[in-house]
Amino acid sequence: MTQTTAATDTRPRESGPRGSRLPEIPGPGETFARAWKALRRMSTALKLLLALTVAVILGTFVPQEPVIPTTVAEWRLGTSGPGEATAAAFDALGLFDVFGAWWFNALVVLLVTSLTGCLVPRIRAFVRTARRRPAAGRNLARLTHHVELRTPLPPGEALDRAETAVTRRRFRRRRIAADDAPGGAAQLATERGHAREGGSIAFHISFYVLVTGAMIGHTFGFTGQVNVVEGASFADTRIAYDLAQPGRWFPFAAHRGFVVELEDFSASYLETPSGTDPGAEAPGDLVTGGALSTFMPTDFSSRVTISEGGEVVREEEVRVNDPLSHDGVSLYQVRFGLAPQIEVRTTDGTVLYTDSVILTEAGGFVWQGVAPVARTEVDRQVALELILLPDAGFNEQGLPVSRSPEPRNPRLAAVVWVGELGLERNRPPSEFQRDRGQQLPQPVILELGETAQVQGLPLEIEFTGLPYWSGFQVSQEPGRWVLLAGAGLMLIGLVPSLYAYRRRVWVEAHPDGEGSRVVLAGVALHRKGVFAEAFEGLADDVAHRLGAVEAPAPEPHLETTERKA
Amino acid sequence: MADPQLAASSNSLFNLAFVSYIVAMAVYFFRLAFTRVSVVGVPKATRAGSVAGAMATMLATGGALVHLASIVTRGMAADRWPWANMYEYSSILAWGAVVFGLLVVQRRWGYGHLMGFVLAGAVLSMTSALLLFTEAGPVVPALDSYWITIHTSAAMVASSIFIVAFVATALYLVKDTAERRVARSDAEYGGSTVGAAQLPRAPARHEGSGGPRPEGYTDPSAGSGGDAEAYASPLAQREALSPVAFPLVPLVVVAAFVLIVWRDPVATLIAGSAAALLGTATWYAVPYLPPAAKLDALAYRIIAFGFPVWTFAVMAGAIWAQEAWGRYWGWDPKETGSFFTWLLYAGYLHARSTRGWRGRGAAWIGVLAFVALMVTYYAVNLFIVGLHSYAGV
Repeated sequence: MTQTTAATDTRPRESGPRGSRLPEIPGPGETFARAWKALRRMSTALKLLLALTVAVILGTFVPQEPVIPTTVAEWRLGTSGPGEATAAAFDALGLFDVFGAWWFNALVVLLVTSLTGCLVPRIRAFVRTARRRPAAGRNLARLTHHVELRTPLPPGEALDRAETAVTRRRFRRRRIAADDAPGGAAQLATERGHAREGGSIAFHISFYVLVTGAMIGHTFGFTGQVNVVEGASFADTRIAYDLAQPGRWFPFAAHRGFVVELEDFSASYLETPSGTDPGAEAPGDLVTGGALSTFMPTDFSSRVTISEGGEVVREEEVRVNDPLSHDGVSLYQVRFGLAPQIEVRTTDGTVLYTDSVILTEAGGFVWQGVAPVARTEVDRQVALELILLPDAGFNEQGLPVSRSPEPRNPRLAAVVWVGELGLERNRPPSEFQRDRGQQLPQPVILELGETAQVQGLPLEIEFTGLPYWSGFQVSQEPGRWVLLAGAGLMLIGLVPSLYAYRRRVWVEAHPDGEGSRVVLAGVALHRKGVFAEAFEGLADDVAHRLGAVEAPAPEPHLETTERKA
Repeated sequence: MADPQLAASSNSLFNLAFVSYIVAMAVYFFRLAFTRVSVVGVPKATRAGSVAGAMATMLATGGALVHLASIVTRGMAADRWPWANMYEYSSILAWGAVVFGLLVVQRRWGYGHLMGFVLAGAVLSMTSALLLFTEAGPVVPALDSYWITIHTSAAMVASSIFIVAFVATALYLVKDTAERRVARSDAEYGGSTVGAAQLPRAPARHEGSGGPRPEGYTDPSAGSGGDAEAYASPLAQREALSPVAFPLVPLVVVAAFVLIVWRDPVATLIAGSAAALLGTATWYAVPYLPPAAKLDALAYRIIAFGFPVWTFAVMAGAIWAQEAWGRYWGWDPKETGSFFTWLLYAGYLHARSTRGWRGRGAAWIGVLAFVALMVTYYAVNLFIVGLHSYAGV
């Protein structure tokens, strides 16, 4: 590079008068040319790669909004993390969403430009060299690796036999007649190891394939989240999903419209008693002592049926690590929970609300959710805030706890809210306006199958059932095969780019009395140590095939040259 | 589900392997101390060294077999593949490093005298396994897939290879520094200061492997007497390095790491002292190390070996994530961690063929890459909340 700069400096410039001491200001064209040249340099690419690494490291250690939004919100509020001011600075720098930040994308674009700038000339050069037939060798006796043999065979025959040896080693070959050869003797020129550069190019091209695959998925794919209670169903249409992330050009018509019904759901846990009191196990017994056991889910699965046009076409289990694919749509088991079924009636028997309420885990096996009971009269709405203890008991302080995640002894507590709760808004019921409503002082506590009156309101609540709900992710991934192809190409390219090496071997046969004098010589561009061994093996093989003896003369010469390498 | 008797025997086999690795490490270092290095940098063990080397090899091989038995019984006890938590993973990393060291570094490439350092890496990994001990048990559904054999085993193979690569890279940096300092002091004073004072007939120094042998040169380790000149440069190399920094730097790094991860002062003290001892051993061993150029080549060969495996591990992880969570890449901390580790090793491979970065620059990227690997493994599992944190310890 220093050479190039020197060359441009001595050239007369149009921008400044000759002999001027003013610094020369390069024009926009020249600036661009220089930037392009700099971008194509390997060291620039390396620095960009390291900068990208730093960005990824930042994205690992700073919580990322798309991955864990709650933690980010806490950092912004200053309730956790390094404090509000730092969080504000992080926000300004886009550190809470590194992988979506403009500077990250700019870095990627620069790196891809740099890669393209390096790759295009390399591909051209590679195509040129790969097409070229092996070149004739000159001054073979001067090469580091060379052997002279004497054989009773005539030159043509000797070259034929040597050719079998190199053919077995999968070298490309070219025979050069004595008249055309630089050494004046018939020659066999061979070459191998284009796989190194080819592999390296394939490895780098695979990035474009991977990026293309990811883009196809992002643009034409679809991801939706849906929670279904046991016995309920959903259809693959846009409105069915609680959270839909269609790609920019995902067509509406690409929804398949089949109906998925959750027949039932099962979860099993491994219970490890962590306390010292093994007698605290009796289910149904409310008062227990001792520490709680730890529970680890060992398996959870949903049995679903898929119907098309009212007919069941498939019935299958979906579990983690075992998704269901139907008609190009994949159904993944991602989460699950409990959905208590309640019925709310007025005291005269009119049913106000009957549904299963999808609860989410609030920690410690306690489940929470909100049932919007009455929303028609805007200023007199009723909502139930539900708290479910699947396996209710009391801890040592006498506070209610759930002792396990399994619904062994469920208790449902319903806190009744009345007032202008804003339930009519297009928001999840759990976000009702607590500040405008009024909470009834006494929560209703129910066992499964029990009915209770609400104190202060003419309502009764019945806890009718406790099914599970199952959360699925439904995806269409049109770029999937492109991604897999890219990954395959990367691995296929990577291995030869590290292990293959280019080397050339020549065999020259001079007529020598009855037989011939054969010179075998070789040179390697990479992995010279490996080639040294391979060449020895080849030389032995050729000598054996020619029935030859090694010519003694050049031996000492060979020794000294080899030591230098 | 878990068989307590098998689990207990797995633990005792682990302890036995741990002890034999420590003893083997000590004997390997003993062997290193009984090595002579000629001017051209050919290490050759003395008789005591050869005996020690054979003993150490036997000990390490035996330890690896016992360790394998421990891993297998652990898997049988839990009735699954034995690499589902950090204890098991760290244990297998150590085993992989020892096996790779014995088969490839010692047997195939003939660098047996570096095995003490490889074993030190394995012992550290096993110590972390002990600190992260978990009883044998089943796994959460997300881990219960045939992909655990593919993705996790590939990650383990690559990581053990990278442990060995780090040993070579670190030794290269040490040796290279020593060679450079000796060369500089030679240039300044017209001779190796310490070496020349001790041995006035010091011949061509610090030529490394690249230089041609002088005419009429005979291998000094071949003869019994008159090989004093062979030591001139190597001893100067040791003198050129600070005997304080060598135990101090590993002490601080390892102690800080243990203190942050486990918050246990006793473990910190023990690990710190072990690291300090290791640092001193490295300082003492500098003259016996192969020339820097050879160590550099060794590190490159090992990383070139591990990189495709790591690439495959990351890819298999993406495919598994697709099966388990419905997306192949979600910028989860473990994913980004494995990605920046990959980027750094890719950077190392590129740096080695970039002007201005070859040698020390590339080696430092290699060191960073290993640090990234450790961060991805320990920090992301233990401190950062993400999808992989179900793996816990």
